[in-house]
Amino acid sequence: MALTPDVTHDDERLEDLVDVAHRIRQAIESVIEGKSDVVRMTLTVLLAEGHLLIEDVPGVGKTMLAKALARSIDSSAHRVQFTPDLLPSDITGVSAYNQQTHEFEFKPGPVFANIVVGDEINRASPKTQSALLECMEEHQVTVDAITYPLEAPFMVIATQNPIEMEGTYPLPEAQRDRFTAKIAMGYPEPGAELDMLDHHGAAQPLDKLEPVATTAEVRSLIRAVRQVYVSQPVKRYAIDLVTSTRNSPDLRLGASPRATLHLIRAARAHAAMTGRDYVIPDDLQELAGQVLSHRLLPSLEAQGQRRHPEQVMADLVRRVPVPDSK
Amino acid sequence: MRLPIYAGLSTGAVAMTLYSLFNGGAWFWACLGVVLTVTAVAAAVTRFGLPRWSAPLLELAGLLIFLSAAFAGDKAWWRIVPTKDSMIRLSDLIFQGFDDIQRFAAPVPDNVGISLLTSGGVGLIAILVDLFAVRMRRAALGGLPLLALFTVPAAVLNDPIAWPAFVIGSLGFVGLLLADGRERLTHWGRAVLVRRSRTTTAVADTGRLSLSGKRVGLTAIALAIVLPALIPALTPAPLFGFGVGNGTGKGGNSIGIPDAIAKLSGQLTQQSNATVLTYTVSDDTPRYLRIYSLDVFDGQKFTVSPLRGKPEDRTSDGPLPLTPGLGPAIPVKRVTTNITISDKIEKLQFLPLPYAPVQVDVDGDWRADEQSLMVFSTKDEAAGLHYTALVGEPQPTRAQLEAVPQLPEAARYLSLPAGLPQEVYQKALEVTRDANNPYEQAILLQKWFTKDGGFTYNLATRGSGSDALAQFILNDRAGYCEQFASAMAVMARMLGIPSRVAIGYTGGTKIDKLWTVRTHDAHAWPELYFQGVGWLRFEPTPAGSLGQGTARVPAYSLPSAPTTNPSAGPSPGASTGSDNLGPDSASRRNLRELDRETGPAGTPVDQGLPLIAKIGIGLAILLLLSLIPAVVRLIISYGRRRALTRAAAIDIPDEPDDEPVIRDEWSRAESMDSAAPPQARPERLTPAAVEAGWAELCDMLIDYGVPKTGSETPRALARRLVERYEFDAATTRSVGTIATAEEQLRYAPIPPRETPLPSDVRQIKRALAGTVSRWRRIGAVVTPMSTLLRIRGLGERVLDGFDLLEGIRLRPRRDDDGKAATPSPGMESETLTGSRR
Repeated sequence: MALTPDVTHDDERLEDLVDVAHRIRQAIESVIEGKSDVVRMTLTVLLAEGHLLIEDVPGVGKTMLAKALARSIDSSAHRVQFTPDLLPSDITGVSAYNQQTHEFEFKPGPVFANIVVGDEINRASPKTQSALLECMEEHQVTVDAITYPLEAPFMVIATQNPIEMEGTYPLPEAQRDRFTAKIAMGYPEPGAELDMLDHHGAAQPLDKLEPVATTAEVRSLIRAVRQVYVSQPVKRYAIDLVTSTRNSPDLRLGASPRATLHLIRAARAHAAMTGRDYVIPDDLQELAGQVLSHRLLPSLEAQGQRRHPEQVMADLVRRVPVPDSK
Repeated sequence: MRLPIYAGLSTGAVAMTLYSLFNGGAWFWACLGVVLTVTAVAAAVTRFGLPRWSAPLLELAGLLIFLSAAFAGDKAWWRIVPTKDSMIRLSDLIFQGFDDIQRFAAPVPDNVGISLLTSGGVGLIAILVDLFAVRMRRAALGGLPLLALFTVPAAVLNDPIAWPAFVIGSLGFVGLLLADGRERLTHWGRAVLVRRSRTTTAVADTGRLSLSGKRVGLTAIALAIVLPALIPALTPAPLFGFGVGNGTGKGGNSIGIPDAIAKLSGQLTQQSNATVLTYTVSDDTPRYLRIYSLDVFDGQKFTVSPLRGKPEDRTSDGPLPLTPGLGPAIPVKRVTTNITISDKIEKLQFLPLPYAPVQVDVDGDWRADEQSLMVFSTKDEAAGLHYTALVGEPQPTRAQLEAVPQLPEAARYLSLPAGLPQEVYQKALEVTRDANNPYEQAILLQKWFTKDGGFTYNLATRGSGSDALAQFILNDRAGYCEQFASAMAVMARMLGIPSRVAIGYTGGTKIDKLWTVRTHDAHAWPELYFQGVGWLRFEPTPAGSLGQGTARVPAYSLPSAPTTNPSAGPSPGASTGSDNLGPDSASRRNLRELDRETGPAGTPVDQGLPLIAKIGIGLAILLLLSLIPAVVRLIISYGRRRALTRAAAIDIPDEPDDEPVIRDEWSRAESMDSAAPPQARPERLTPAAVEAGWAELCDMLIDYGVPKTGSETPRALARRLVERYEFDAATTRSVGTIATAEEQLRYAPIPPRETPLPSDVRQIKRALAGTVSRWRRIGAVVTPMSTLLRIRGLGERVLDGFDLLEGIRLRPRRDDDGKAATPSPGMESETLTGSRR
């Protein structure tokens, strides 16, 4: 569908978008109690055509979130449990010899879905990890020199245990860079946990979850997000933020240009979800922590002072001045 | 190594400022050699790690060797090693130099003696600087000898030091301080290199510190130059007074009074009667024009005591010193004279002026002697000069003069050498025995000379010794003006009336509206001092065709009693109100006033403002200056209000109440989106108004001490304000309007829907003012921080300019990439040399 520059059209889509986003949010929240921030971030990443990395201890609902999202937008969802012996072909699919037709036939792997949940991605060997990451970046799978495109929307929600835990291969920074955002689930509030017990005790709430949007709707929403206006000062501000991570003495690795791109995309989605057809620095400020932090490596001094990249990033956001004129 | 070299450099730089003292360049090479020698010795002491105390001794030795090689090389052994002969030569030269310095006024010719003295002095300063800065590690203290050196030209010259010289000198000192600071820092040791890093440098980071040091130093120098230029009151002036020799020497620029009396008779006996000067007077009455005032009688003749012409007594700087002894009750008649001196006269460095000059308007560096009000110059000559003098003539009434008491004690104007003939004393007493007061004594003396004594005017008489004086008074009774004047002055002193002899010209004759004074009008006359009145001219010399042709007897010196108003014409300032100078007020004064030891005694000629008023004016000016930021702030906010009003005038808000601005993003989304379609958004909104509203809000916050932080977006700022101050709905709306408009203006593809109104700004201001203390409110108006910050920003931009200058000279910036950890070679070597010390 051709993108029309017609503003009126955009506004209608934005309206839709707010509405749809609201519905999806409510649907997911009926499954995941008391995590509206996480849910919102998940949606933002989906609309920004990105991928999400959820890092937390086991059992806080990482997989549940991914599943709930997949179900609520009526899309195909596959789940891959990463284990140390998982092979790349277990993800992308294999060409198998069909004895009847005497030809090789491609058996698509679990990556062929709209939402792919990579569970405990840091338990797989790096080789397998990178096979998934390749699909994430290029939205296609190449097996035996044949390229199979992946259907849009395509979003990988990878979960990982904190790297300190046993039996894990931490994702290298180059691979972490491909995820638009990393979020932590966190333990639920006591009240929310009580609700969870009530709901989950009787039945699996996921089963009751009805789709509230179609994939086609989501696709058009994504196009609408692409139309969100980003002014020059905001672009400059994004670059300033990213540059500050490269110059900070607390960091030994700053954010990549891809990070800048992801930041702007996420900011567009964020703005669109609030019904705004332009990005403001506030969007960037709110997203910078989750979009940039996981790409940063703290310097030895910062590590010595137990300063996490998240804290460093928050400091930088406080320090980098907002450009004030067009 | 670095520090001794910098010490030498700074001494050299300051020594450059001596240039204006000399006529030639030889001194420079001598000084250069001296500084190089001392610096080389100092550097060697540092390099070889010799004990500190040895440095001054070795440097002194080096200095001596250099001086004897340079100035007495032929007497030295192998031209270098000082011998007894060479030392004698040196000391001879030094004495010769001292003599020359006494003799000449700056700029002096740089002959050998003076060069030796100068370079020796500079050498000693260099040794002192090295001692303080390098050996004792007190670089700031090293500034003292430098300052001493620097004050030499400032003290000697009456012209201010040229600013480039000042810059060079102060740069030298700043360099010394910087070198010291850097040396100190490198002694802290090296930072340990723990890892590849962008920030840690391998050495103590002196670069940045020295950069700020240079910033401070350069700023200080720039301010020192620019500020006096901006503020006219701070004309750079020499620090110390300006002394003038009383003239025994003949060379250089020294000044002396040529034997005035000898010259006087010479002029009178000249065959030709050339025009010396012409003048006009505002009341068209001739005035005696005084050139010299001779106040010391040595038994033979009157001479001049040393003149003192302080820089503040320059004629160009306003009125002359107050007329000595003039009391407040004495009416003063002001007349203006325009005097043109012939350009054919001999060298004359004094101005002929009527007594008492109040203000002289003349080109050149002319100064007035405080005591005698002689106006002289050490540089300029009177020939061909045209100048205007305002004269204040005392016009005492006879009663006032008669009330002047006998002076109780002797003083400089009464001193007579011992051994004057007793007969003269007796004659003086005899002549004045009918007098009741000093004034009548003076009148009788004059009368005796002019009428009763049978004196005759005779130019042929010569001789002016003490015997000659007695001879003149007692026997010959024939002479010319000089004898009459001296005799009357001496006899007045004998009677206790302070006196002095004035030499100059009589009023001359009138030719074509101009009063013309010729050589033959040269004249001498006594001036007598009356307490509370000042100096009055008397005329003992016979006038008319048988005497000094153009001499005129002043009215007040005539014995004719009936005339009460002694002035020749009607005097505008003459008030008869206080014609009785009470003994009370008279006795409060004493002769010391004459010597001006107790401050200004007479009527202040130019009645200055009282101290309180001056302080008041100063404070008022300060106050006005300090109000500048407030005024600037008012102007700025006025401009913004106008921008807002202008926009509001054409902007009719079409959707009044549907913009709840600060709310949770999610919930406000719907309402925001359902706003007017974009076609309805008018183009009439001026971005200027939006900007103005926003800028005013930000400035207001700064003024009230809750400034916007750099990373705060309009939305965040509005949220913070509303949350922090719990604004009411109207204020919340106003804040929201301004913030939203600014946000949309900056970041949205289309201009904002709603412009802030002046009332919004007012509303917020009121609300904010309610949250702060009264002092803060007052402070926000009187000293608005927003304006002060703007001024500071300006200053920082100037500093950035300095940094640019820095960048030109300094080592290349370390690049910020991976290999940043290697310091530039320059820094490395500095550190190594520094730590090797």
